[in-house]
Amino acid sequence: MSTVRLNSTSKSGIAERRRLSSFIVFLFLLAGAVITLFPIYMGVLNSLKTEGDMMNNILAIPSKLEFGNYSDAFEKTNFLRSLGNTVVVAATGLVGIILFSSMAGYKLSRTPGRLSTFLFNLFVLSMLIPFHSIMISLNRISMKLAVQGTTVGLGLIYIGLGVSMAIFLYHGFVKSVPRDLDEAAVIDGCGEVRLFTTIIFPLLLPITTTVAILNLLWMWNDFLLPLLMLTDADQYTLLLSTNMLFGQYGNNDWSAILSSLVLTMLPVVILYLLLQKYILNGIAEGAVKG
Amino acid sequence: MSGSSKSKQSLILLAFVFPALLFYAVFMLAPAFGGAWYSFTDWNGLNPAYHLVGFANYIEALTDDAFFIDSVWFTLKFVVFMVVLQNVLAVLLAVLIESRRRSKAWFRTIFFMPNMMSMIIGGFMWLFIFTKALPYIAEHAGLAFLDQSWIGDPKYSFLAIVIVSLWGGVGYLMVIYIAALQGVPDSLKEAAAIDGANSWQTFRSITLPMVYPAVTIGIFVTLNSSFKAFDAVFALTGGGPGRATQVLALNIFEEAFKMSGRYGYASAKAMILFLVVLVITLIQLSIMKRREVEA
Repeated sequence: MSTVRLNSTSKSGIAERRRLSSFIVFLFLLAGAVITLFPIYMGVLNSLKTEGDMMNNILAIPSKLEFGNYSDAFEKTNFLRSLGNTVVVAATGLVGIILFSSMAGYKLSRTPGRLSTFLFNLFVLSMLIPFHSIMISLNRISMKLAVQGTTVGLGLIYIGLGVSMAIFLYHGFVKSVPRDLDEAAVIDGCGEVRLFTTIIFPLLLPITTTVAILNLLWMWNDFLLPLLMLTDADQYTLLLSTNMLFGQYGNNDWSAILSSLVLTMLPVVILYLLLQKYILNGIAEGAVKG
Repeated sequence: MSGSSKSKQSLILLAFVFPALLFYAVFMLAPAFGGAWYSFTDWNGLNPAYHLVGFANYIEALTDDAFFIDSVWFTLKFVVFMVVLQNVLAVLLAVLIESRRRSKAWFRTIFFMPNMMSMIIGGFMWLFIFTKALPYIAEHAGLAFLDQSWIGDPKYSFLAIVIVSLWGGVGYLMVIYIAALQGVPDSLKEAAAIDGANSWQTFRSITLPMVYPAVTIGIFVTLNSSFKAFDAVFALTGGGPGRATQVLALNIFEEAFKMSGRYGYASAKAMILFLVVLVITLIQLSIMKRREVEA
């Protein structure tokens, strides 16, 4: 019965049905994309309006571009200082994570034996521990070590929390780097340190890119650890400064808040649009291996 | 290999691992063990003197602390919603996007974008949508159902948190599922099409079994992220109204740093969170790995 019906359907009928269903799929995705971008669009749009303009019609294009909100936000969040603090934290963490994890991941991967396996498992096991389970005593320890309350200190803490995942990724990648190179270099009288810095580390560039992207995004977007560690407004990162705009006087000044939200997300959005390919690959890789 | 060269090798290994191990031991291992130890004490964070109290903190949290018990149930409800909705939506998006030719890259870029932002920023943007934009749209476009007390009414604030968390998290899973779909050989799908399978049948019998390992990862990722959810809730509702949307992580945070300063007690709650996540993810992985082998 069904075969008869299938045969009686004309070829153009099938093509038409296919076009229709493809169109429905497109509409569905378009609706999803609109919903996804809606909050960002509304944020940008209303950050450029005067308070009165916003209250008057929240959806409309600004009747006059009001950049005053941005200078207001710049001042209230001390934007340049907050940006500088965020960069210091992320740079400290990133340099440490990449340097220490590549060294450790490389040697752990190359050295057979029980010690090596034990150390590797020791690093990897903690990937299961939620941050909230360590934050209370971490707070205590960092106070004692006087790393609390400084941006560099916060970067150092990120090294401790970030090496596990990075070592795991380096460890896996090193397996694909041929051993002949190590052996040839050793025969040529190349020392361990030079072998690593001049031959091995450059070969790790693809996984270093992944590690750098994943960790940069993590540190840039992390809120809770800076909230616990940075007690002085002079040290605040972008997120902490933005958070301070809320409810200070009971009423939210949305013009300044939206401007500062836009300013805060701008660096990552630009980074994303420029490095999209690496970021998406890095995410897929990090997730599958992690 | 001679014994001395072996011990030399071990020394070199330790030298390469030492810097990472040092930071890891101080900022990760020590707090992890410290947290476990303090959970059995009455330490208040300030007073250097404290006493061992056995399981008293655990018993109090699980039997006597209504706020904590509520936050456990609330978190579990949130986790169930997120695991189901986020994975279904991500698979759907991945399959539909992969079926597009020219618009594929655009959609992928857009759906992943919220993932690049901190959920603190995303949460604040949505707070503007929920408290300002939706009431306006409801009034002027006649869409009365949008005019809810999204942040003030517990029923709707749960929904608001789910919406924002989906918005922020679905792109990540979508990328994982797209990577998995691209691993399905076209020849298999073509063979199915020649055998007369329609697209739903191809999806069920070819695509889904092939991406099953990605589903294991997807559920693992969602379980982990939603048990630890903090940022979106902090930005949107702050746990309110009252404590109606207080997730576990927020409850622990407030116990330790906002209210009593009972570090020992808060540590016990943190240990409970750790054990719950550990047990549930291990169960999930063992069940799904077994099914993967069968599939």
